[in-house]
Amino acid sequence: MPRVGRKLRKWTARILDLPQDVVLDLPRITMIAGLQLTVENHRGVLHFSPQSLRLAMERGELEVTGNDLVIRTIGGEEVFVEGQITGVLLRPK
Amino acid sequence: MKGLWVSNVRGYVQLKLVRGDAEALLNGVTAAGIRPWDIAYARDGALTFRVTVPDFFRLRPLLKRTGCRTRILERRGFPFQMARLSRRKVFAGGLLAFVAALFLLSMLVWDVQVKTEAPIGEEQVLQAARQEGLHPFQWSFLLRDPATIAHGIARRLPEAAWVGVEKSGTRVTITVVKSNKPEVKKPQSPSNLVASTDAVVTRIVAESGRPKVQRNERVRKGEVLISGVIGEDGRTKNVVSKGEVKGLVWHEYKIVSPLARKVETYTGESNERGYFVIGNRALQTSGYKAQTFAASEFRSERRQLHWGSWTLPFGFLKEKEREVSTIEETLTPEQAKEAGLAQARTEVLAAAGRGAVIKAEKLLHEHTENGKVMINILFEVEQSIAVERPIIQMSNIQGE
Repeated sequence: MPRVGRKLRKWTARILDLPQDVVLDLPRITMIAGLQLTVENHRGVLHFSPQSLRLAMERGELEVTGNDLVIRTIGGEEVFVEGQITGVLLRPK
Repeated sequence: MKGLWVSNVRGYVQLKLVRGDAEALLNGVTAAGIRPWDIAYARDGALTFRVTVPDFFRLRPLLKRTGCRTRILERRGFPFQMARLSRRKVFAGGLLAFVAALFLLSMLVWDVQVKTEAPIGEEQVLQAARQEGLHPFQWSFLLRDPATIAHGIARRLPEAAWVGVEKSGTRVTITVVKSNKPEVKKPQSPSNLVASTDAVVTRIVAESGRPKVQRNERVRKGEVLISGVIGEDGRTKNVVSKGEVKGLVWHEYKIVSPLARKVETYTGESNERGYFVIGNRALQTSGYKAQTFAASEFRSERRQLHWGSWTLPFGFLKEKEREVSTIEETLTPEQAKEAGLAQARTEVLAAAGRGAVIKAEKLLHEHTENGKVMINILFEVEQSIAVERPIIQMSNIQGE
């Protein structure tokens, strides 16, 4: 997304009081304790093992760490992870 | 995964990635619009996931492109069960046969119930229904429309006012309502109206038949008042004669009325006893300190316990005993005569029948003797004097 366009969108979101994830295509992470995690607006799986799941995002990376991680469902836009989740780490680029 | 039952219907497989890059496969799969689920690592470190059968076939070119190889671990869902079933022919046949048998048996009429009223027997209704083609173990699709059957049954049961046939599943209920017919009057034989006593006719009205006497005419007992033979000589017809004939009749009465009279009165003294009743046995609960009376009258009142609409076998009985004493009253001859006359009047009116009226009374004789008043009285009563008598063939001639 071009720089000017992104700035314009950010400005619109602020003026109209819209949620940022809707306007800017940012990932939205919903977590229920350490059991379930839903990530919307991801950009693909970078790495998956029972201990960690790394997802690409618009800008940067998201790493979910834990034990016995299982991807319950995966689609083009969202991932639903279950297991003992111990950490969620954001690595902005 | 849209829901387990959808995947079950379409069938799904569990795959194990034997060779190749897991991340590349996952990204490729999601980019191609295939939605795998339950992606996890097995104990041996291999990636396992599930896809529906249609998705599995779309997955194959993708696998070739990414250089992956999978192995099927499990096949689940309806298509696979069907395939398994097709190998067990007898079992599948049994399953089909069961469904078919259930379907066929549900199309039979298993039970015909009859709701009927007293004069029309259940057997009679069933017989009529059988003749209309409605009986147990009959195919229900062979039955005609319930309204038509009901009509047919009603035609076969002349006493029924209404017949209803209701089919619910494998049960057919026939409801029969009887018709209320007017009571049949038994035919009467031709008759005359004759006089029941000697009298003077005061009123004669003939509804059918020919009046033979007139007002103020004196009639003897047994004389024909209204004749049931109508028509002129040779061309006569016998009918049931009807009508109203009233006449003056004399009744003579001898009355003996005593001058002394016994009257029972209450003294005002009474005892009350209470009982508790179980079944038909009573247990006295109160009223033990009772006075004793020479003469008394009892009156009891019973109250039974109820529970809703049920009558319980328990109750209470209240008994009241009242003392009675007899008083002797002395009357004047005038009072005794009046009492005697009043009694005679009610007696004569009761004897004369309905609609009788005392027209006149005449005191014939009166004298007092041995404490009694003796009266001889004649009542003139207007009363109905007509009595029916059947016409015997002989009376044909008599009537003319």
